[in-house]
Amino acid sequence: MEKAEWQIGELRLRADLVWALAMSSLKVRMGRAFITGLTIATTTAFMMYLLTMPYADPNAPFHDGVAGMMGLRTDRDAGEVQGFLLMFVMALLVAAAGVLNTMLMNVSQRYREIGTIKCLGGLDRLILFSVLVEAALLGLVGAGLGVIIGLAISLLLSVADYGGAFWSHVGFGGLPLKVIFVLLIGMGLTTLGAAIPAQIAAKMPPIEAMRGEK
Amino acid sequence: MSERNPLLSGRPLRSPDARLDATAAVDSGHPDARAEQLVKGGVDWFADLDRQVDQTVMTSNVSKHYRMGEQIIKALDDVTVNIAAGEYISIMGPSGSGKTTLFNCIGGLTKPTSGNVFIDEIDVAQLDANELAWLRCRKIGYIFQSYNIIKVMTALENVTLPMLFAGLPGDEAQDRGVEILGRVGLGDRLLHTPKELSGGQQQRVAIARAFANRPAIILADEPTANLDLKTGEEIIMLMKEMNREQGVTVICSTHDHKMLAQSDRIIWMEDGRIKRIADRDEVKITVSQMSDHQ
Ligand SMILES: Nc1ncnc2c1ncn2[C@@H]1O[C@H](COP(=O)(O)OP(=O)(O)OP(=O)(O)O)[C@@H](O)[C@H]1O
Ligand SMILES: [Mg+2]
Repeated sequence: MEKAEWQIGELRLRADLVWALAMSSLKVRMGRAFITGLTIATTTAFMMYLLTMPYADPNAPFHDGVAGMMGLRTDRDAGEVQGFLLMFVMALLVAAAGVLNTMLMNVSQRYREIGTIKCLGGLDRLILFSVLVEAALLGLVGAGLGVIIGLAISLLLSVADYGGAFWSHVGFGGLPLKVIFVLLIGMGLTTLGAAIPAQIAAKMPPIEAMRGEK
Repeated sequence: MSERNPLLSGRPLRSPDARLDATAAVDSGHPDARAEQLVKGGVDWFADLDRQVDQTVMTSNVSKHYRMGEQIIKALDDVTVNIAAGEYISIMGPSGSGKTTLFNCIGGLTKPTSGNVFIDEIDVAQLDANELAWLRCRKIGYIFQSYNIIKVMTALENVTLPMLFAGLPGDEAQDRGVEILGRVGLGDRLLHTPKELSGGQQQRVAIARAFANRPAIILADEPTANLDLKTGEEIIMLMKEMNREQGVTVICSTHDHKMLAQSDRIIWMEDGRIKRIADRDEVKITVSQMSDHQ
């Protein structure tokens, strides 16, 4: 038999397709995206509040520089600093558990779709990247909302505590870093929660992925 | 038409005479148009498949076993079969005889427990992830028994998706998608999602999608099971036409004896094994005998 001339070709990853798939996925699952976004927003709002609450000690880890938005009261002791740290770690854990769980569920329910995309010749990386882009966007929007809510609560309570005097004492220098910090945590958690099931599904043979078998 | 297709950058669906506008967009350096030019890069997309060579499908002692607790189910048991380029093969066999499993193995959609599948003398097991994706995308067109069309996408998006994977620019993919859907009689259902389509219409979306990238091999798993006689025959004729005119290799499972007339050879399966392989001429007698029984 004559040797076949035919050769295996190569498919290229298309950035435009990654983006289009991510957007179309967000669009068609608007309701689910909304709920996921709310989970991210509430947990990051709590973190943002902790970082900017009016009685955070100036010696606390997130004061001045990294933090330093408030600091009206300077009569806090080491115990309270520890208390603050503990609260923050707990907030982080709650956020991690909530967001990771939501994203895991979110992506795991799409095994059939992912398997089908693989059957049609979708690249593993296309699947992975589009899920990651989608998750990162969700994280950004959700955490953005969380930052606004957390900050609003913080400011409201401060004004309630200190009245108009508050505005003349407060400095906002540390705020941008805190905002970025919380946004990164939000995006990091969503992307991580999505990356794990997406990577597993993208690596599976398509038929097994469609059945959702591990 | 003013409705939009989100996968294709929300561009309105174009009728063929809207082509002039697209050219204008390229000239004026519209960002979308430029991106597409970059992607396109002046390649003739289907050139490599036009060169019809003697591709074959060959399985050598392919087995696929599933473990169900203590029990081992032999969905495929030592299947060896040789299919030449340009053949039209029908596969028959009772429910559970392993037809779908054989298709999945041939198509590189699942790994056989043992044995090898060769496509054009290339061992599918040796391919890396990208090459496998290429094979699934460009070389083989699948029509799944359970359709497997993506629920959250419209008929048109489902059909354009493999073309986009192949690297075709969005506009061209869309035009071609509209054309193929028209050919399977769904020209007026382009923007319907699967749940707005009947079973037979979904099946036709699956068929249109399988033809999208002009594959060299079509694996059709009971492609006409949910179609009325006339539509079913039209689909079979469409496959036969591609088989005859473009040398597309067609492997088609069916329960319908009327479909056998189109095939060069017929393979019977039972309990995961090949029971019999026969040329069409040999089968004529059997077919008439069978119709006597009915
Ligand atoms: N994922 C699986 N796990 C366990 N058993 C399986 C699995 N997939 C298929 N089987 C078994 O393998 C055998 C062959 O199945 P297959 O789907 O290939 O049959 P088929 O010939 O396509 O049947 P039908 O005509 O009903 O579509 C069946 O007995 C089935 O129960
Ligand atoms: Mg089957």
